[in-house]
Amino acid sequence: MRIQMRHEGGCQVMMIHGSADTEASPSLREALMGAIEAGQTHIVCDLGRADFLCSDALGALITAYLKARGRGGFVRLADPTEPLRELLKTTRLDHLFDIYSDVTAATARP
Amino acid sequence: MPSTRRPSGDSRAWTEKTLPTHLGAIRAVEAELMARLLDLGYDEEHRFAVRLAIEEALVNAMKHGNRMDPSRQVRLRYCASPECVEISVADEGAGFDPAAVPDPTADENLRKPCGRGIMLMRAYMDEVSYSGSGQEVHMVKYRTP
Repeated sequence: MRIQMRHEGGCQVMMIHGSADTEASPSLREALMGAIEAGQTHIVCDLGRADFLCSDALGALITAYLKARGRGGFVRLADPTEPLRELLKTTRLDHLFDIYSDVTAATARP
Repeated sequence: MPSTRRPSGDSRAWTEKTLPTHLGAIRAVEAELMARLLDLGYDEEHRFAVRLAIEEALVNAMKHGNRMDPSRQVRLRYCASPECVEISVADEGAGFDPAAVPDPTADENLRKPCGRGIMLMRAYMDEVSYSGSGQEVHMVKYRTP
């Protein structure tokens, strides 16, 4: 897994490449928490190039979501690949996260 | 050490591995099984399902079963054929009652960052059963068109 960070539309965009498996999840958690601790509480996770999320990676996203919301921010998901869209539906996390078709749509909403 | 064996009465080749309780040991066996499924022509959807299930089963065995005790091991057995994939994962822990695990998809549990492994195995595999006192999980994924 590789995470590319950039700023767009007032948000911290994290593009996740590859597989967020159990071995990679701590890095994802660290990147998310690091951004929030640094004051970047408007986060968009771009899942367009991610091919796998394990339950631990989902947990990292949830923990970040709760922390960002607690500070008046958000963690939004953008452009999930089909297997990940299905995973979010199966876990019913599509009821927790706001999911957007692309990063532009995710950053456009206030 | 990995080995291939044929249980009595079963003509299929099973691969058996004993893994240390170390999360870093998961990727290699997962990659090996994924390569086997690719060779057998399993599509991306099936490979994703099996990868997720074996990852969650091994993590559960190491974290919750063996409690990350490096003196304990995890036994993995799998058999991939053109028709189906069967996987068994056994730990050396005290066991648990799978029925007592809360449903992570319930509204009140959606915000919990953990507890989704068993649900994912059940959702993505066609058969999931436990033996012993919950120390061993057996899963089957059938190849469907």
